[in-house]
Amino acid sequence: MSQGQQSPDQEQQKRSLAEWVSFGIASFILAAIAGLVIYEWLVQDNRPPAISVRRAGNTRQVQDQFYIPFAVTNTGGQAADAVQVVAQLRVDGKVEATGEQQISYLSKGETKNGAFIFDRNPNQGKVVLRVTSYQQP
Amino acid sequence: MTNDNTAKHPRKKVWLSECDDLMRGASGGFLFGIPLLYTMEVWQIGSTAEPSEMLVVLAVTFIIIFLINRTAGFRKSQGDSPLQAAMDSVEAIAIGLVCSAGILILLRRITLETTLSAALGKTIFESVPFAIGVAVANEFISGERKDKSGSKQDKAKQQNQDQLNATIADLGATLIGALFIAFNIAPTDEIPMLSSAISAPWLLAIAIASLLISYGIVFEAGFVNQQKRQQQRGLFQHPWSETIACYLVSIVASVLMLYFFHQLRLNDPWFMWLSYTILLSLPSTIGGAAGRLAI
Repeated sequence: MSQGQQSPDQEQQKRSLAEWVSFGIASFILAAIAGLVIYEWLVQDNRPPAISVRRAGNTRQVQDQFYIPFAVTNTGGQAADAVQVVAQLRVDGKVEATGEQQISYLSKGETKNGAFIFDRNPNQGKVVLRVTSYQQP
Repeated sequence: MTNDNTAKHPRKKVWLSECDDLMRGASGGFLFGIPLLYTMEVWQIGSTAEPSEMLVVLAVTFIIIFLINRTAGFRKSQGDSPLQAAMDSVEAIAIGLVCSAGILILLRRITLETTLSAALGKTIFESVPFAIGVAVANEFISGERKDKSGSKQDKAKQQNQDQLNATIADLGATLIGALFIAFNIAPTDEIPMLSSAISAPWLLAIAIASLLISYGIVFEAGFVNQQKRQQQRGLFQHPWSETIACYLVSIVASVLMLYFFHQLRLNDPWFMWLSYTILLSLPSTIGGAAGRLAI
């Protein structure tokens, strides 16, 4: 900032081609980001969270434990916090084992994966997965 | 950053000088922005931000950067016209956005599964301190590395002693800089959280990025000119050997900090040690690079 005596026009002329090119690229990046934000704004969905949980793959056995992979998806328009997922292993209608998971944060459209671990073979009964609660962020 | 080659080719010099300016800006951004890149609250705030909030943040950042650019900036030579400051502000914000997005991708905070809204929010919120760092790049670091050499006669007489002193000074400055930046990050939950989401190839990418950023800050950002760099003595004559040696110092400093804060214990698996250390070494190395310039 030591050349304050020069007029703005002179300074502007002094801007080299390289500086113009980097300014052009910078403007493009900024415009692209602002454009994407505006696009998000226009397509914004204000529906509350709609969270579903499903099995995501085959059960695997490691030593005496059974790993049941699951995926939680938020198909709503808003994010959800502290999403509680519960799994129950029912054999002959009776709950033999339960598992709980808390997903700390689930953005709209986001899917998070995890696994419940039971020490009974889930193939002996039926595994019921369900989302029990969430908080608004 | 002038040398004979560039003096003969003014056009090349203009491009090199522009690259130096941008590198200087990015380096300032890394120094200022890296602590917040390791802050989970900022990731969460970014993820939940509304698009209207993001636009407000971009606009407010532009105003802040514009005001800073009226007195500071990241270019070696710059005018003080409002138009010039506005154009530099656009570049500073763009550098901030690109660098913070790059680090968020490296740290796996932005992945292919991340929604567009969350990716934009995280990038925009993280880019604020980054862009401020870009705008104060010239003021943030004094500009030139201290010349530790004496007169030519002294050089001849005390070369070995000076080499050792210069090396110790460099390593010491790296250690102090690494502690200065990474001490605030080492005890936090972010390191285990980042580690849980990171695989070996990404760790390798983070290590390479740490080396490149460190090299960029010390040797390419124009904080140190070519002549001074050649005069700089010490056991590590080559910039890359100095960069690697100082990265090793940052790694050792990171291990010690993690152990000091009970993040790592002796019975923890070796991959956990490796992963935590490489993750903390990124801010450590950036701090170390700043330390070598500032001290």
